[in-house]
Amino acid sequence: MSIEISVLRGRIENAAEAVGPLWPLRTFNSANPLSGFETLPFDEAVQRAGHLFRGRGYPSPTTFRHAWERGAIQPNLLRDRLKKHDITSKPEETLATMEANDVPSTAAPSDQRLNRLMSKWLAAFFDHGQAAWPMPNRADGFFASWRILAPFDRDIPGIRQTSDLPSTKLDAFIEALDGVPESEWETIFTHHLAALPGWVGLIRWQERGTAKEWGKAKPITLGGYLAVRLTLARLLDEPLLPEDATANGRVHPDDASLPAIWLSAWEETYRQGLLDDLATSAHQPTKETGRPDAQLVFCIDVRSEIIRRHLEATGPYETHGYAGFFGIPMEHEAYAPEGEVGERVKACPPIVDPRHRIAERVAPNRSEEAERYNGWAGLNAARQKLVKTLKNDVAAAFGFVEGSGGLFGVAMALRTLLPHKIYDWIQSANERIPRPSSFTEVTVDRDESLDEEDALAVGLSDQVKVVYAEAAFRLMGWTETFAPIVVFTGHGSQTPNNPFKSSLDCGACAGNPGGPNARVLAAICNDSDVRDALRDRGIDIPDDTVFLAGEHNTTTDEVRLYVDEENPPVDADALARLRADLTKAREKAAAERVGTMDAQLLSDPSRETERRAADWSETRPEWGLAGNAAFIVGPRRLTNDLDLDGRSFLHSYDWRVDESGTALETILTGPLVVGEWINMQYYFSTVDNAVYGSGSKITHNVSGKVGVVQGNGGDLMTGLPLQSLYLDDDVPYHDPLRLFAVLHAPVERVGMILQRQDTLKRLFDHEWVALTVMDPQQDNTLLRYEPGGTWASVMSDDRTVPELLPEAEPTS
Amino acid sequence: MTDQPQETTESPKRQHRLHPLKKIEIIVRGEKEKFVQDLLEECGATGYTVHRDIAGRGAHGFHEGRLLFNDRAGLVMFFAVGDDEMIDCVMDGLTPLFEKSSGVMFVSNTQVVRLEKFLEEDEK
Repeated sequence: MSIEISVLRGRIENAAEAVGPLWPLRTFNSANPLSGFETLPFDEAVQRAGHLFRGRGYPSPTTFRHAWERGAIQPNLLRDRLKKHDITSKPEETLATMEANDVPSTAAPSDQRLNRLMSKWLAAFFDHGQAAWPMPNRADGFFASWRILAPFDRDIPGIRQTSDLPSTKLDAFIEALDGVPESEWETIFTHHLAALPGWVGLIRWQERGTAKEWGKAKPITLGGYLAVRLTLARLLDEPLLPEDATANGRVHPDDASLPAIWLSAWEETYRQGLLDDLATSAHQPTKETGRPDAQLVFCIDVRSEIIRRHLEATGPYETHGYAGFFGIPMEHEAYAPEGEVGERVKACPPIVDPRHRIAERVAPNRSEEAERYNGWAGLNAARQKLVKTLKNDVAAAFGFVEGSGGLFGVAMALRTLLPHKIYDWIQSANERIPRPSSFTEVTVDRDESLDEEDALAVGLSDQVKVVYAEAAFRLMGWTETFAPIVVFTGHGSQTPNNPFKSSLDCGACAGNPGGPNARVLAAICNDSDVRDALRDRGIDIPDDTVFLAGEHNTTTDEVRLYVDEENPPVDADALARLRADLTKAREKAAAERVGTMDAQLLSDPSRETERRAADWSETRPEWGLAGNAAFIVGPRRLTNDLDLDGRSFLHSYDWRVDESGTALETILTGPLVVGEWINMQYYFSTVDNAVYGSGSKITHNVSGKVGVVQGNGGDLMTGLPLQSLYLDDDVPYHDPLRLFAVLHAPVERVGMILQRQDTLKRLFDHEWVALTVMDPQQDNTLLRYEPGGTWASVMSDDRTVPELLPEAEPTS
Repeated sequence: MTDQPQETTESPKRQHRLHPLKKIEIIVRGEKEKFVQDLLEECGATGYTVHRDIAGRGAHGFHEGRLLFNDRAGLVMFFAVGDDEMIDCVMDGLTPLFEKSSGVMFVSNTQVVRLEKFLEEDEK
């Protein structure tokens, strides 16, 4: 049998659509685990995926019961919806039916042995510096390096030497697919790829070519994975397509209708409440506030809403929301002493490729601080290296434990019993040892001398600087009234011993803290040439406005400003006032958040957040983006009187200064799409934590520094841990609701954008995201997007009976 | 795809000769850029040209990217030139892809002056 390799490649590519990419822990990115099914309506997608991954697609009856009992689902809404589906039973009866029908299948997949074997080899291949003795020959690729070692694996029957195995990947496919028609390949490949969505997702991430160094050192492709897996299936005498994979396990549509109805009633309850609040707020007269003392731009992240609300209540401050990478598609190179290379990380959203390298370099007159830092960093690196060597060396390990056990024991006891002290110690160390952000500057200017072959260009050209600055203000609809101090505030979390730290950092910065991006945009906006160019384009920033950068610690709610303390660029009193108010806002925000984690600890909420930031045994340093349910695009005046409970992404936008709709289009195709990824990750990780999440942190094991497995092996877990979503084993804190986008913009403009953006329109048509427009040209009337392209007016007195409006005219 | 036989032609006015080859133009969604790149390389294309962020209307409606915040939503267009074997190989890989993903390919006859630029080492 002959196989065209390019046909094989095409079929594998199609089959791989079912499995979304998985980012390694270091840059854990939120992604919809069902992204490959977004071409289907939501209800159909969860059923198909449910069969393939054996995962639940809707909240469990227990979750619905908790929501029902606390009044999160309005009985009238639910009854109406049931009636529309000709279901006359009472809500409680339908809940009892769901509970009776909820018998989850616990049968293990028939090819479990194959899964375990593959996982073992993939873990060895993917190891990223955790193993003391790494797998050899990895540079030759997964299939080739496996082929050499496979004869030594006693779990693989019938192989005595390498030559017993197919010599190339193509040969492996020729042998495995002998007699199988091409029309069946995709089904077979899909099954084998979906059997281990964690490892396969990681291969997909690597295949995208974003990690060039990694790809060169350890090349692995889906073709290589399938070649090994199909060969193993043959050797283990397992069928190419197991019976449980081919059986029609799709849930009958009627079986899923009750959960779908309950979910939509729950969503509608939340959405109507939000729309009521927004409608009330929109009809309030606009308050004239004058020039604020300071304006702070936060990430659109739902966590920002809490600190923004409290800061605005503290004094004459205004806040805005913008994607937390501040529109700078960059790779960040951390500071490193001369002669060493700082760590380079992508610092922009998963759907954007970085285009510039921005490095931290010692600022003029700051070399003394840099020297002090280098000395400390050198000592620390040597200590870590020594400990690792002593632990891993067979001869030294025993003596090491004998000699240092006491010391480590004391450290462990301190960390466990007195995490507050550890926090204080870290703080005081930070005060003594300079941080790189205090003695470095970022290479914002284009610097060809730092360019390297096969790497991104360093710095930004003058023209590009203006583009990024203008984009920021245009997208936020902010073209006038600039305060004397404007702070771009990135965000990051603080949590020790947490493989999922990246999931708590900024999603728009590829799971990294957003401070470096904030520094770049602030530097650009302080550039007088950029300001001149902006003035020519109608954005007139007064000469006395100074842009600063800062970072919001989402675990403790502290906001740290990057300011040269000896020579502050703004009025010292104004800066001191801002800092004092940030501290006040922090205390209120921390109290609000601690109340949702453990109301008994409210005596000193800020201190409690500090403990969580330093406690190595804390499984829930913060809630992250749990609770997220809405994405509001509009001016802050629409929301600044509302308590949105930390559940809304807030993107600033002013329809009056975006006649072409370009800014709105950029927001909808960029930040909103990332918001949907995050929302779907939280949704699926909640509805089936074992399949789409990552289970309990207590039994996590980090594998190869790239991912986590449950227990001693198996597939990589793909989503969020239980403790990030659940109050306890059964009660979710996160309400698994699909994202609700509310846009304050003319409906015609939104219609035009949907005509142009097919992928975006599909998200709404297929009900992955719901959309409602508040049209300022129609007295802020609310119009709901109906799948297919029509708009229904949302009546304030009777929102459940929409009036259908004609479809918006296509314009292109 | 047109399949008229072509022969090497000599320009009457100049010293150079034109050699017949085939050209393939491929338009896919941004997210398939890597797949097409790998396919072209595997099929022995000696080079190709990519246009990113192009716009157009197809069976699935109008497509237009907004490069600033989303590199995946736009369309990309590839041009490559090669012999029949290379073009067939690329077509074999794209045919299954287009069963599932949106995209188009066009193959046409073309002529080049410097033949050696478009053929792999062992074909010259």
